[in-house]
Formats: sequence, C-alpha cells, structure tokens
Amino acid sequence: MAFDHDVVVLGAGLAGMRAGLEAARSGADVAIVSKVHPVRSHSNAAQGGINAALAPEDSWELHAFDTVKGADYLADQDAVEILCREAPGDIIELEHMGVVFYRDEEGKLGTRAFGGASRARTYFVGDITGQALLYTLYDQILKAGVRVYEEWFATSLVVAEGACRGLIALDMLHGDIHLLRAKAVIVCTGGIGRVFEPSTNALICTGDGMSLAYRAGAPLMDMEMVQYHPTTLKGSGFLLSEAARGEGAYLLNAAGERFMERYAPKSLELASRDVVSRAETKEIAQGRGVDGCVLLDCRHLGKDVIMRKLPQIHELALDFAGVDMITDPVPIRPGMHYAMGGIKTDVDGKTRVPGLYAAGECACVSLHGGNRLGANSLLDTLVFGRRAGREAAARAMETEPSKHGENVLADEQRRLRALLERPYLGETHARLRLEMGTAMDRYVAVERDAGGLAKALEEIRTLRERYERVSVGDKGRIYNQALTFVLELGFMLDCADAAVRSAIARTESRGAQYRTDFPERNDAEWLKHVLIVHGRSDPEYLPVTITRWQPEARTY
Amino acid sequence: MKVAFWPGCVSKGACPELYISTQKIAPLLGLELQELTQAPCCGSGVISEQNPALADSLNAIMLAMAEAHGADLMTICSVCQGTISRHNYAFAEDPERLARANGVIASDGLRYDGTTRVKHLLWILVEDIGLERIARLIKRPLTGLRVAPFYGCQILRPEDALGIRDHPERKTYLERLIALLGAEPVEYHGKSKCCGFPLVTFNKERSLAMGGSHMLEAKERGADLMVTPCPQCHLNLDAMQPDAARVLRRGLDLPIFHLPQLLGLAFGFSPAELRLDHHVVSTHGALTQIELKA
Amino acid sequence: MEWTVVVGRYNPEEPTEPDESLPGPPPPFARGFPKSYQEYAVDLPPHAAVLDALIYIREYVDESLVVRCACRSAICGSCAMWINGHANLACKSRLDKFAVDGKVTVEVAPSMRAVKDLVWDMTAFWQKHRAVMPWLEEKGPVPEREYRVPAAAMENLVQEVSCISCGACLMDCESFAVNPDFLGPHALAKAYRYADDPRDAATEDRLTRYSEPRSGIWECTHCYECVQQCPKGVAPMDQILKLRRMAVQAGQTDNNGTRHADAFADSVRHTGRLDELALVPKSYGIFNIGANLKQLPGAWNLLRAGKLLSMLHGPIPGVQRIRDVFDKVGGRFGGRRDGEAIDAYDRPFHRL
Repeated sequence: MAFDHDVVVLGAGLAGMRAGLEAARSGADVAIVSKVHPVRSHSNAAQGGINAALAPEDSWELHAFDTVKGADYLADQDAVEILCREAPGDIIELEHMGVVFYRDEEGKLGTRAFGGASRARTYFVGDITGQALLYTLYDQILKAGVRVYEEWFATSLVVAEGACRGLIALDMLHGDIHLLRAKAVIVCTGGIGRVFEPSTNALICTGDGMSLAYRAGAPLMDMEMVQYHPTTLKGSGFLLSEAARGEGAYLLNAAGERFMERYAPKSLELASRDVVSRAETKEIAQGRGVDGCVLLDCRHLGKDVIMRKLPQIHELALDFAGVDMITDPVPIRPGMHYAMGGIKTDVDGKTRVPGLYAAGECACVSLHGGNRLGANSLLDTLVFGRRAGREAAARAMETEPSKHGENVLADEQRRLRALLERPYLGETHARLRLEMGTAMDRYVAVERDAGGLAKALEEIRTLRERYERVSVGDKGRIYNQALTFVLELGFMLDCADAAVRSAIARTESRGAQYRTDFPERNDAEWLKHVLIVHGRSDPEYLPVTITRWQPEARTY
Repeated sequence: MKVAFWPGCVSKGACPELYISTQKIAPLLGLELQELTQAPCCGSGVISEQNPALADSLNAIMLAMAEAHGADLMTICSVCQGTISRHNYAFAEDPERLARANGVIASDGLRYDGTTRVKHLLWILVEDIGLERIARLIKRPLTGLRVAPFYGCQILRPEDALGIRDHPERKTYLERLIALLGAEPVEYHGKSKCCGFPLVTFNKERSLAMGGSHMLEAKERGADLMVTPCPQCHLNLDAMQPDAARVLRRGLDLPIFHLPQLLGLAFGFSPAELRLDHHVVSTHGALTQIELKA
Repeated sequence: MEWTVVVGRYNPEEPTEPDESLPGPPPPFARGFPKSYQEYAVDLPPHAAVLDALIYIREYVDESLVVRCACRSAICGSCAMWINGHANLACKSRLDKFAVDGKVTVEVAPSMRAVKDLVWDMTAFWQKHRAVMPWLEEKGPVPEREYRVPAAAMENLVQEVSCISCGACLMDCESFAVNPDFLGPHALAKAYRYADDPRDAATEDRLTRYSEPRSGIWECTHCYECVQQCPKGVAPMDQILKLRRMAVQAGQTDNNGTRHADAFADSVRHTGRLDELALVPKSYGIFNIGANLKQLPGAWNLLRAGKLLSMLHGPIPGVQRIRDVFDKVGGRFGGRRDGEAIDAYDRPFHRL
C-alpha cells in the first residue's frame, strides 16, 4: 500500500519528534516513522542535562567557545553560533511544554556543572533529563495529533528525479511492506553504538538512517569521530552520567590518586570527554587500573545528594555491578557512546540530496567536531530538529506531491522475500555483529594507528562478503525481528566502513581521534572534514568554517 | 509470650468467630493477649487516603499504647497489619511525620517513640513461637484436606513497610503452616492477589469478580477450603460468596476459614467451639472430610 | 551456570490451543492468550539477567523467538513481562534471584494479548495514556521566561516522570484484570503528574475526567501490586490516592468513594471503631433506596450466620481521646491549593 504525506520523519527520538512537531506547526501534514514506540528511543537514556547560556553571568559566546574548543576546532563555527544563540529560547520553550526542570531557591531554572564548560549552564531533571524531555515531546506530539507509524522499519529511501521522495517501510506488527510518499524526508535515527562492542547504546542504535541516506547519495562526514565516554560501568558498559562528576565525584586510579591532576590540572574530572577517556586508558595501560578499570568515587557527595540528584545511576551501579556508590567507589572504563560524525547537513538540516534532511545524532553539521561536550547533544536535537522541521515543511509547501516509489516498493518486496528465502549457509547476524563490534573496539577506539586501522578495514570487508551469506532464522511474517536484525547489520557495516576509512584518511590526532602514529594536531593541513561518499573510494574534504575563534592549544 | 493484642474492628464486629477462635488457641501457644481495648481503628488505609494527618495520629495512639505495654503489637487482620506497618514505617523514615503525630496526641498524655514492632499472628507463629512447638500441639492432623492459602494483599505489599525485604519467607508462611498441620497446600496464582474488598461499595460487581476468580481458581486446583489471615478478605470471600457466584455464573461453595480456626481444628477444638458453624458459606463439606460435623 | 528458561510462546500464524493446566484468572475471564511453553537451556553467569538469557536464545539457539528490548539498563521500558508469575523488567531480573531450582518462566501476562511470543499488544495501554490528556495546558499568562515554581513542586512530580511506560503495573493490576475499562495505574499516575503541576490550567476538568465511574480513580482496589512491581519506584497507587484527595478537595464528592471515606471517619469518631452496618448504606447514600435494597440479601446472609448482632456496638472506652484527635486534625484533608508548600505526606518514602 502507499501513503501520502507532506513530510515524513524517520525516527521518533528527541530530534525526530521535535522536527515532526515543528513541521506540523508550520502547516505540513506530518508522519513520524519509528521502528520502536517513540518513548523507547535512545534519547531516554541521556541522563545529565541540556546546555544553554541563560544565566546572567553566562553568554552564548562563552558557550560557543567552550563548544568549539571542546570540538578541538573541528566544529563549524557558524553552526555552533546558531546552536548557542538559539539554545536559551529552546530551553524556555521546553519549560513551557512542561519539563520538570530542577529549580533553585527562587523557583528559577537551576544548573549543574558539566564537562568542558566554563560556566555552569546545564539544566536538568535529576539524572533522567533525556527521559523527561522525551516524554514531554511525546506529550506534545499527542497534543498536536501528529501521526506516528509505530514499529515500522524503514528499509530504503525513495530517490527519483534527483530528489528524495519518501521511503519504504515494513509494518512489523502486520508483516506488510509499504510505500510512504513524501515531499520531504527528515532522517533522525540517532547513532551507531552497536557497531562497537561494548557500547553504552541501546540495541536499536544501528545507524539505519546514516546508511539509508548514504546509499541515497548523502555523504557521511567525520565518521572517525566516535566518542568514548569516560564513565561506563564495568562489564555491562552502561552509562554513568557525567553529572556525577558535575556534582563533584572524583576519578581514582589503583593508588587512590585523582590522576586527572596530571592530565587536566584546571578542569580535572570535568575536562573534555576525549581528554578524560585518554587519561583513563593511559592509567589502565600503565598498570594503575583496577581489573581493567578505574574508579568513580562519589562517597564524599553524601547519601542525600546521590539520592536526590543521581538516583538513576545509583540504581544502575547497584543493579548491574552490585556496587552501592554511597559506600563504595564504582569501577568504570571508557566505552563507545556517541557519534560526532554522521550525515552531512547545512545549518537547516539540508543534505546534498534535495528533499532529504537530517537532524540529531545521525547528522553532522558539524556542531561537535572532534568531540562533543556533555549536555550539548540534547540541545542539538532540539535546535536542529526544529530547524530541519521548519525547513522541510517550507519545501513541502512548494513541492508537488510525489508520484514515485512503486518500483522501489516492488524492488524491496522482492529483495526482502529473497532474503527470507535464503537457506542457512553458515552465517548468523549475531556472530557477524559481534566480530564487527570487537574489531572496532580494538582498532578504532581511544587509541588508533595505521596498522590497526588497516586490519579493521580488512575485517569489515570480509564481514561484508560474509554478510551476503547471512540467512534469516525466522520465516514468519508477523514481527520478524530476525529479518530486521539482518537488515540492521547491513546498515551497521556501511557505518563501520565509513568510520574506518575516515580514520585512515585523517593522518592526525584531533578530538576523539588519537593516532599513536600521528599524535599531534595538525591545523596547517587538517582543519577540514572528511566526507565518505557512496560509490567513491576516495574521501572528499570540506574546510572547517571559522568565524571568530582561531584554533589554539587545547588544554584543560 | 506477651503481646499487645489489637483485634481490629471486624473481628469484634462482622467476624466474631475470628476473635473467639484466636482467644481459644492463644493459651496453648503461650500467647498472653493484652488487648488494647482503648485503641482506635487503624483507618484501614481508607482514612489515610483522605486525611493522612488523622490516620497518622490514630495509629500513633495505638502504637504508643503497645509501646507502653512493652510488647510487640499483634494483629489478626492483614489490613491492620498493612496499615499500621505503613504508618510505623513512615514514622521511622520521616521523623517529621512522627513529630506531627506526637504533637496531636500529646494532650492526652500519649507519645510514640518509634520502638513498637507490628506483627501479625501469622508471623508470630512461625518466627516467635516456632513450627516445632506448634507441631507438638497437633492432636488432629488435617490429613487429606487440600487447603488454599489466601494472604490478603495488605500483608504482602509493599514489601519495604512489611519487613519482607528482610524476611522474604513471610510470603510462604501460610503454606508452611498448612503443611505442618498435615494438610496439602494448594498452589495457585491468586493466593497473593486482592480479594476486592476495598471496592465492594464502589463497584460491587468488579469487587466480587476479583475474589470470585481467585476462589474459582483455587477450586479448579482442587481446594477443599480456603484459609485467610484477613477478616476483611473473609467478608468478601465468605459473606459475599453467594453474590460472587452469581457474578461469575459458576457455583463456588468454597468454605473460607480464618487462620486460628484451622489451627484450632488441628489442636483438637470442636467446630462449634471455633464458631465454624457461623459462616455464610457452610463449612460442612470440608469438615466431613476430616470426619467432623459443622 | 546452567539455567532453564521456559518461554510462553505464541505464533499468530500458527496459534495454539489454550493450555488449561496452567494458572491464571479462570473463566469467564480471559485465561490469557493461549501459549505453548518451550524450554531452553542456557549457560550464563549467576548475575546475568533474564534478558541476557533471552537475547542469548534469540541470537544463538532460536532466531524465531521475539522479545522487545533496547537499552538493557532499565530505562527504555521495552522488556517488561511476567517472570515467574509477576511483572518485572527482564533486564533487571537477575537469574540468581529469580530462578527457582535453576528454572525461570517468562511469558506475556495473562491479562494482556500477545502479538507474538513475548511481544504484547500495547494498544490498550497507550489508549489509556492518551485518555488522561497527558500534556500541559499552559496556564496563562505564559511568562516570557520560565514559570516560577517552587523547587519542591517540581521535585514532587519527578517521581512520576521516572515512569518508563513498561506496563508492569498494568500487567499485575487486579482491577484492570477484571475491568478492562479501568484507566490503570500508569495512566492515572500520569494524570496526577499533570493535575498537580502548578503550571497547568486544566486541573478541575482533569479531576472530573479522572473521577469517572468504571474507569477512574475510584476503581483502584488499593492492593499495592503496582507499587510493588514498578521497577522505577513510581508508586502509581500513591499517585492515585493523591488524585482522590485532590478530587474531593475540588468538590468531586458525589461518589461512593467519598461517601465511604466520610462514613468510615464518622464511625471512628463516634465509636472509635468501624461500624460496618452503617457503612454500606452511607456509601451508597442513605436515600439511595434502590441500591440499598440490593444489599438486603447480603444482610440476610449475615443475619442467618449469626453475625449481624455483633455488628451493633457502642463507643469503646476512652473514646474521648479519639474524638479529641478528630477535633484537631479531622475533617476532609484534601489536596493543597495553588501555591501551598508540598506537605510531608506527599513526599515519597519508599523507593522499591
């Protein structure tokens, strides 16, 4: 069957719902497509808070500088200026929508300190800020009556006559595959956590939209910039929010030392995430770790602060590592967490493909350059989700309804049927994904070098060949997860390939990319983005946009 | 063992057989019942719903009276157990609430210092008296009887206020006693669910559907009778059983025993002494299985 | 360590006959969706969760097993299911704590429909959520910057904002099991979150809506299942009780629930005890002849069993003490008005 809408949003996390809401408010007929119910989107796992320069002693310029410095000067400064200038308005709008932000004694919005920030500008709800925002957005979607195609899995974008005109999606609850025709499509599918193993990300973070946009002709930018979050729980890899360090927690090595004094004498534990992750990796590699981890010590914060401001991570540590952070330090290690890179867009969410937009973690404007500051991602989703929504709606107003896609629908039906009918040939998606994730975590993590990256590339190439022999272990129609997992693996391999190739191309260290063979930052040659384009073996390059802040040495 | 005995309102009202059978078995178990004759109703969760300050004060009076006796407060009703435990737990967790309640009751010369332990007879039997001592009292093993335990939700949840965190076995005491007495405990899902009593004046049909469905499930699993430590459950299960059967459109005829009655039978008391002839649903069928007459 | 995981499976393309031998609400109520139970052996460390076992089975043993899951860390709410007969999040349920003799049984809760295997149909869940108007109706005038509200007022709502919509509360809700029209703990907790938000303009309309007979706050049977089973400490029942207070305060008193509570309090005030005889007619309304007549057969049963007489009693000794308490803090307490400080009684004290 075919459905017609003005704007189709793929992904119902914060960026997707904000984009959809804005497009609807701009008068467009909007549909949001999501492979899970909106509130299951990974935005719900964001804990610490959302940044904005609202306080009188703060300024958007300071926020922007912190962001640019945090990005190790790879961020496009015109985009960062927009992010920081518009942030206060978006926070107030959120509050008016009903978010139960923390208040100070005067009943005004209150802040906490966060990494890489020269002023306390992080607004929060306990340590469940992402969840609080996500539910508020969902409430607004209900209020506005925006249509959501829930548990519909997108398999392909429709590109015809030089523009994106919709997508093909599998209705998992009923087993039918449909065409959604649109005048504009906004991709908001989040990150690529499952490409790495372990990762803080949910099982659904498989880079679907990045791969779909890539195959449709939109380049992927800065894919080598993968953030390893400093405090992920030992074993499970679950995120323990930066908010703990924001409230004053220490990082200790085996000798009980606050080792960050040696790596970031001014900011200590609240230095930029890549700096902290590298510091931890060094401590562990040099034998000062505890069982492959270092320790997050919150004991001195006291029970009251922990239970009021950090209750969720207290529960996480207790439930999943058996440690009560009120009485004991928690073992943590760096874990893959966020993709700074993604689908290249301009400041209005436009990709190189007309009619195709992107926002949120899956997009790369670039706001976060080589490293993202904590609490800037939630902001990114709202500011740029809104902008993409408005822009897509505007395009929809001046575009004819699409008549395309039936052939793509027929192709997809054939392709999926063939995939389902493939007999067991010895390969399973689970095994391949684990091999991919392990290779990426080994060669494309906190420290990289040419040899390791070459091995990673070889591994990905081999996995791609073996992928052609993966079969689907469930032949049913209704709610076939085995089928969607196989499709997700395909998306992930595209993203892994782009990440490795970008890391190989960038022969310097900057932000999250640290190469032991090119350990210095090279502004003379590398103030540019790496773009991977589908069908081209060589990367393209785009210079970084610099408005006010010339690159300086980056110390914390 | 001396206890400050709180019989609750229902055992002095609609379920006198509970009060009487408790009095009968207490001496055998070494329980010296010092009844709190001046203590107010615990509010049953209903008063605390509309007026927490009032419920706190009423419960503070009761807890203070028990404290003055220097003994554990013993209840024979799941709802009393649950309600008083919740207030006691709130007093322990939030000193401001206790201070407020004490402020209200002070003019009557009362004060609660937070030291009373609240324990249902069911818990006292296993934890304080002990299964061994109880076993020695058995004169008439209830062999051949299949007994379905029905706890009553208020003695099982919330687990923190009821000390079940520290004593998770409290969720199994009925089965253990049933087995000790020689009978066979019936395993069924509804044993820990709600009988519906709180809803009986709000939505009678749904209330009876709840209790009725658990009784029906127990019967389908072979129960000859049901035993409950809660007289409010008893009302919805026994007194309202004919209505429940009508709602379900199925016959029930399941005798509902109070816990002390079951024990009393095993200890050798006659059904008449335990007022087993004063139920709405006749206990005759179950009793004949152990060669007794109602 | 070896574990046996028994999974209640359901394949809509090959439906099974109901298994009559298994526990669940008996007819005429739904015996739950017909399932066939399949056993799997897994080898996982003791601290592994039930979800780890299910993912393992799905990845390495039987690719046709479906289960909703995403975050694995108790924040997305996808993986709630019946584990050994009670609703829990599979990712938070450790095998060593939940398995009995090395075995654990998982399935869609019997009061829910299964889509396939462990994936349950959440249509009713989301309809109920939608029915409580779960969004802020901004109170005018909307300020240029943030609304100024006391910190405690926002902190008060965080307990419900912790809800991850997993559905565990609804799965074990007794009232919902016998009355599908009941809005349920999750929806009513969300209802409270907006009803008590000082920035919301629609409070009165909400309270009327939530007090509807057969679906609203008075249908809760007070059994604490939702409080006990909620993995995030939302304590939905407590939120429902707060709504009851607010509703009564707002004048929504023409219902059996309010009359029942009033009659209860009156009885204790006069006699120190509960007067069961008066409670029934007072709850229905003394002049509600029709309803009161319907209670007569029940009264007749009690009379025949010799229980009626003991229900007549006078005041207990020392009743003045109790009446003094009523004089001081009696009456309908009700909810707070706008601007009043959060009361000690609204502070949640259990995080389970």
